[in-house]
Amino acid sequence: MSEDTLLDTAEGFEPKIVGFLCNWCSYAGADKAGGSQKSYPPNVSVIRVMCSGRVDPQFVLKAYSAGADGVLILACHPGDCHYKEGNYMAMQRHRILLRMLSEHGIDSARCRFDYVSAAEGDRFIEILTEMVDTIRALGPMVSDNTVGNKIMVKRS
Amino acid sequence: MKIGVYFCNCGSNISDKVDSEQVRQVIETMGDVAYFKTNDLMCSDDGKAFLHEDIAAENPDRIVIAACSPREHENTFMRVLTGVGMNPYLMQMANIREQVAWVTDDIGEASLKAATLIKGAVKRVGFHKPLEKKSIDMSPDVLVIGAGPAGLKAALTIAETGRKVVIVEKRPVIGGQPVLYEEVFPNLECAPCMLEPMLNDILHGEHAVNIEILTLSEVVELTGFYGNFIAKVKKTPRYVDLHQCIGCGECIGVCPVDVKNECNNGLDGRKAISLSFAGALPNVPFIDMSACLRARDEECRLCEQSCPLGDGIILYGDVQETVERHIGAVIVAVGASLYDAGLIPKLGYGRVPDVYTSIEFERLLSSTGPTGGQLTTRSGRQPKSIAIIHCVGSLDANHKEYCSGVCCQSAFKFNLMAGHKLHETRIYHLYKELVYPGKEEFFLYKRARENPNAAFIRYQNIDRLMITEEEDGIMIENTLSVDGSIKADMVVLCAALAPAKDTGKLNEVLDTTADTYGFFEELHGRLDSARSKVRGIYIAGACQSPMNIQQAITQGMAAAGYVLSGLVEGKQLDIEPITASVDTDRCSGCRVCMLLCPYRAIGFDDDSRKSSVNEVLCQGCGTCVAACPAGAISGNHFTNEAIYAEIEGVLA
Ligand SMILES: Cc1cc2nc3c(=O)[nH]c(=O)nc-3n(C[C@H](O)[C@H](O)[C@H](O)COP(=O)(O)OP(=O)(O)OC[C@H]3O[C@@H](n4cnc5c(N)ncnc54)[C@H](O)[C@@H]3O)c2cc1C
Ligand code: FES
Repeated sequence: MSEDTLLDTAEGFEPKIVGFLCNWCSYAGADKAGGSQKSYPPNVSVIRVMCSGRVDPQFVLKAYSAGADGVLILACHPGDCHYKEGNYMAMQRHRILLRMLSEHGIDSARCRFDYVSAAEGDRFIEILTEMVDTIRALGPMVSDNTVGNKIMVKRS
Repeated sequence: MKIGVYFCNCGSNISDKVDSEQVRQVIETMGDVAYFKTNDLMCSDDGKAFLHEDIAAENPDRIVIAACSPREHENTFMRVLTGVGMNPYLMQMANIREQVAWVTDDIGEASLKAATLIKGAVKRVGFHKPLEKKSIDMSPDVLVIGAGPAGLKAALTIAETGRKVVIVEKRPVIGGQPVLYEEVFPNLECAPCMLEPMLNDILHGEHAVNIEILTLSEVVELTGFYGNFIAKVKKTPRYVDLHQCIGCGECIGVCPVDVKNECNNGLDGRKAISLSFAGALPNVPFIDMSACLRARDEECRLCEQSCPLGDGIILYGDVQETVERHIGAVIVAVGASLYDAGLIPKLGYGRVPDVYTSIEFERLLSSTGPTGGQLTTRSGRQPKSIAIIHCVGSLDANHKEYCSGVCCQSAFKFNLMAGHKLHETRIYHLYKELVYPGKEEFFLYKRARENPNAAFIRYQNIDRLMITEEEDGIMIENTLSVDGSIKADMVVLCAALAPAKDTGKLNEVLDTTADTYGFFEELHGRLDSARSKVRGIYIAGACQSPMNIQQAITQGMAAAGYVLSGLVEGKQLDIEPITASVDTDRCSGCRVCMLLCPYRAIGFDDDSRKSSVNEVLCQGCGTCVAACPAGAISGNHFTNEAIYAEIEGVLA
């Protein structure tokens, strides 16, 4: 049973989404979207990492536990990673992460992995808008959500 | 900890959409921030001066700059911090222009989002540590592997600046493939006349003192990293003193042993002591010990006895040795080889005597070749017709899918050179595609077309061609049609350029990578084709991709350019501080990081069974940091703590 079925979609719900963007393609793509000055929903807070390969699954869990309703991981297109293959690692980790999340009843749509190049400002807006719409439809994560905390592997 | 926030209006780019007052109120409720100041245009000279003075006055521990994208001005502001004596890594930018002001319609929403991003930055910056750029000494010397046009041009360009260059060449001669040619396309100029001045510059020119040439040698090990490589080179003995021999050739005439001459593809013979061909440089013979009688315990000393310089020139006691060279950079220029025409058996190579590869045909045309430049069949007849087959193994999914770009030109060269030697001989060009890009190349094609004895015939698929030996010559049938057959006395197979024989082995030694076709892989096909993916290892010439001499020379110069600009005498190598580092106490020695690192920057100590990161090679991607199951690796500036804090900050 998904946690979402436990909730009714709250009125006036504004999704909180954290976006992890690699510096070289996706972050530059977001800058490109900025440069084109087209407006898009303000729900995504972008956190810059050098490469999508840096995105530790624990970042995603941390985001959920800190109150995110969704997480977006954006990488360079296959073959374009500035560091050769970090995006392949990211893609594989995302797959594993989705399995883990589904075991904990978190809808896989709450964690999206995609590719955005430095030229694809419009694609960035499209993916971001879709993500906001999806999360809006899914509704908030349980307010006292501890899912992230529960499955966070403490490594220290 | 004193944290200050600077809010840039960016002219009115930001302030039109983001209300700094509203932002200030939100930020001040955080309690973490000592002050919040606005400025109209922080990247301007006035703005930078303001920032400089204000940091000097406030003396904060950390600052956040809420402005444009860090991709635009992070470096600008880092320089201001350095200028005022604050560590530049103690700053974090919040991108409230590209990600907020320019993309959010509603002022309230925009102000709230800006505050959110600044909160993340404030939380994060608390975890920033001061980082220092380190620097280490570099060796300005360079190793060039392969003495073809690409490698030699690179070596010469570097040696001209007074740098030391070591050239490692596996054959006894320098000059690469083109020393085998009589003439070169596209203008059919005399190949030795073109090459010899360059070869002489290398051997005896003004800068030759800076060049060490190791012939009959191979690189067997490379350790270290950019600026500080150690190369081990295996030298096969030449048995003749390279520096004292004057190349008179007396020794060659007296040698009683005849063997096949591999330089002429076995089309003629040579002695156990020989030059590769007349005029080969360095002009010093070598002894082929596999053929020499002395290797069979016979007491032959004929060559030594014939030497007019007396004892000490012929060195029977020469032994194989491995030498070490300390260099800062490596240029790989090992060229390409011909695709094996034997892999298309119907073409008769190796089965039908007068079927030759293009390189063999070059030798038949050459005055230093097996026939002294006489164009004759194996039975000594003048050929009445020659069939030149293009695209052998190229443009073919069963062989090599690419076009080598040089074979058509060499085929046109053969047409004209054969035409000059034998006025009556018919030339057939059998081709799949004809390719002649470039400002000079079409002209050669036109001349080949104008040869009244030449005919151009297109075939569809090389597998349909069947070459057999008949009593009165060679039959080339197109098995698709009955009347599609040609009689010829000689067949030339213009095979694709394929990776040189030991490319795979060399890639292993150098830790470089191969592309889909097995050529040395470049860092970027268009922007950085003379650089490998390993820092400090450059690639030039046909080992990177099939190419002609002009392109190989240009790429040699490009590789030299990288070396000269990056590896400057006396300059130290700056090491970016954003790298990973291993906490050895936590490292369990599983080596997951080593498998993942795209730069081979992670080493493993067999004794302590711990990994460690080489800061020179590490590019700071953080892939290993995210992967370490023990959490033993941290990424400078992008530490888990910093990112967790940012996550919490933007969600607070
Ligand atoms: C039949 C034919 C005809 C051609 N005619 C022309 C022409 O007329 N005009 C033209 O512009 N181009 C011509 N080309 C193309 C030309 O040969 C190449 O562009 C040129 O040789 C490339 O130079 P390079 O220095 O990259 O490699 P190469 O000339 O191949 O030189 C590479 C050198 O590296 C050495 N080497 C190889 N492996 C190792 C190793 N592991 N360790 C140490 N040394 C090693 C080799 O022995 C060689 O000396 C022709 C090509 C063919 C096949
Ligand atoms: S740098 Fe963009 S995914 Fe690696």
